[in-house]
Amino acid sequence: MKGEQHMNELIEELKGKLIDLLNLTDVTPAQFDADARLVGGELGIDSIDVLEMVVMVEKDYGVVINSQEVGEKVFASLTSLADFIRTNAPGKAV
Amino acid sequence: MIPGAVFIAAAGIVSPLGKGLAATEAALRDNRSGISPLEVFPLLHGTPLPVGQIADSESTLWPPRTHRLAREAARMALAACPEPPDAIVLGCTTGGILTTEQLLRTDERNQQAYRYHGLGSVAEDLAEYCGCTGPALTVSTACSSGAVAIALALNLLRSGRMRRILAGGVDSLSRLTYFGFHSLQLVDRNGCRPLDVSRQGLAVAEGAGLLLLTAERPDTPLAVLLGAGLSCDAHHPTAPHPEGQGALLAMKAALEDAGLLPAAVDYINLHGTGTPDNDLAEAKAIVSLFSTPPPLSSIKGATGHSLAASGGIEAVVSALAVSRDFVPGTTGCGQPDPALQLTPQMACSSQPVATVLSNSFGFGGNNGCLLIGKSGSTLPAAKKEKGDLLAIHGCACLSGAGLKQATLAQLRLGKPVAGMLASDQLAHHLPPKLVRRLKRLSRLALLLASAAHADTGGKAPPAAIFMGTGWGALSETWDFLHRLTESGEQFPSPTDFVGSVHNGPASQVALFFKATGANVTASGGDYSFEQAVLTAQTLLAETGQSALLLGADEGHEPFSRLLDPSIDSGPLADGGGALYVNREPQGARCLMRLLFYGRGNEAELPDRLIAALDGAATMRHTYAAVLAGVPAAKDAQGNGQLDALLARINPDLPVCRYRQWTGEFASASAMAAVMAVSCIESGCVPGTLTGGGDIQLQPAERLLVLGTGPCLTAMEFFRP
Repeated sequence: MKGEQHMNELIEELKGKLIDLLNLTDVTPAQFDADARLVGGELGIDSIDVLEMVVMVEKDYGVVINSQEVGEKVFASLTSLADFIRTNAPGKAV
Repeated sequence: MIPGAVFIAAAGIVSPLGKGLAATEAALRDNRSGISPLEVFPLLHGTPLPVGQIADSESTLWPPRTHRLAREAARMALAACPEPPDAIVLGCTTGGILTTEQLLRTDERNQQAYRYHGLGSVAEDLAEYCGCTGPALTVSTACSSGAVAIALALNLLRSGRMRRILAGGVDSLSRLTYFGFHSLQLVDRNGCRPLDVSRQGLAVAEGAGLLLLTAERPDTPLAVLLGAGLSCDAHHPTAPHPEGQGALLAMKAALEDAGLLPAAVDYINLHGTGTPDNDLAEAKAIVSLFSTPPPLSSIKGATGHSLAASGGIEAVVSALAVSRDFVPGTTGCGQPDPALQLTPQMACSSQPVATVLSNSFGFGGNNGCLLIGKSGSTLPAAKKEKGDLLAIHGCACLSGAGLKQATLAQLRLGKPVAGMLASDQLAHHLPPKLVRRLKRLSRLALLLASAAHADTGGKAPPAAIFMGTGWGALSETWDFLHRLTESGEQFPSPTDFVGSVHNGPASQVALFFKATGANVTASGGDYSFEQAVLTAQTLLAETGQSALLLGADEGHEPFSRLLDPSIDSGPLADGGGALYVNREPQGARCLMRLLFYGRGNEAELPDRLIAALDGAATMRHTYAAVLAGVPAAKDAQGNGQLDALLARINPDLPVCRYRQWTGEFASASAMAAVMAVSCIESGCVPGTLTGGGDIQLQPAERLLVLGTGPCLTAMEFFRP
């Protein structure tokens, strides 16, 4: 399915961006489990990283995450983040 | 025995509530808020956020806004007693950054334009202004700086070596702090509402609060400084410990220092920033310490959060509360948050107030609490005098050549070690998870700290951290401002903001060791390490506590060249040194202390140093060699001072001008300290360093490490 393919591409793109943005030098895209707990999990991602990701999502995808409640759901995993971007990206037919 | 308390002889205050004690008291009694939409600098877009700003008609770049605010508060504090203070201890986090932001936007390349950038330049400016010839110290522990500065001043006065100190905090608004706190989502768009159930954050502010502290009782003291307590959360770079552990430790330490029980406190001036996390953690700490909390309030809904200034401003307000008998209200708070289990004082009320506890907490979990009492109150018992000796049990240095072993080996061969260790080599020594968010200075500090601790051969981790850095985290500061400008002020980096604070590296060291004792970062240009040494020997406990004492600076292209006038067009150098110290000479490798720190009146400086070190004749017998720091930008002045000293002590005394070997960077003296320790340990000063033969040290012979230039400093190193 086209949507699924887009989703997988987006997830792969986000893996690269997060490894770069959060300087996860000991993680490869292949090791990055898209369904694992993103914040407070094994990667050591915390509240400061969440804020950095909020900025990136707005800058690179034009998607604003403006409340803690939304943020908690969005950053549950890489898959949930990709899903939120796909659903909310302006002007992108998905 | 030494006095337990010192007197608040006078105070100066500049805040969004007004200028001076009378205006401040009137605004507090009216429950007036000084918070309004930002006007200090224009924004490219968006609605200005509420801030606490000072009406300042001047908009000159030099001196910068922070310096002007500090001068104004100093003028008030010294108005009644113009005799210069023996020292200045100033909390500051912004220095001349507002001016620097402007200069960078116009790509200014003239180094002279950046001369007021450094945090230390504000205290130096005040020292010039009031003719102070003693140390002008700068404490930078983020939002607790002002309170920590006052705590340090209290203990300097208790040492009996000083009589009058001007102490407090200052900060101006800047893009760095305005956008930085916003990027952390810590700013409340509706203004600051401390303790309110729907509070959403702080209002960034500016101001200055200074106390003139005296060891002897003045005719009409404003109040008494009864005690102070410091601690570190060692929990997270920005978030407070969720249970308020660090806050609790600091409050307990302050009460113990003053010899008081919690029941003696009859007003708590809260840190109360209005962020959900701070107010909750602070409330938990208070509920666990006070069975029935006394009246308490936060004034930050009225003043905003003026960062380093807030501890100074709130110390002045606490002094006002005891001298004028009132409890300020919690302006901005509409409905107290039931989760806090506290009943804040909502509006200002006149009532007798004898003792105030004032809290200040900062990023990195750096906490400071002050106890301020009525001028007639019973003074705490006299304290046992502290020694000034630090016993060194381990050390490390880092240069372009690498860690200590590589550095010393290269020096013995007569080869300079100046340079910057490649980033990948730095990273090689540190676990990726630990340092992934940290840039160069924090990495240097962690590497130095862990190597110095490893060098002790298994001693307990340090409990306290004292660090000196001339310029702080240049990479993060540069990257933050660069991205802010590049993104049209839209996407500043929260990570870089957190990393940009001067106490970031020392906080990382505390996190690494779980060091919950005092954590103080000092910043005073080329004398930053000396300031950290003075802080350590003043604050380190007499027993049962070890500390990590370090000095480090990073080389940054192009920022270092713009800021540090000693750096020429050649390759950059950086690094530093770290010492594991306590008060236990048994088994120590070396003992050290700072004996002299003077400034001003150029012609008298060498003689003052000699007098402080017991005269030229004693010095001639005591010291076998000198390691002299002569910053390139001050070489004529520094060499002149050195010549004057040698002429009086011993013209043939071997001298190592250590910057020739370490390269030019602000905390090069930390590396020189480690060189001195190594010479004392081995009993030999390599002739390569002094341009003669190897010097075999007799057991009683000592080494002197001097700092020259606008300040003259002396540290000695000797065998236990």
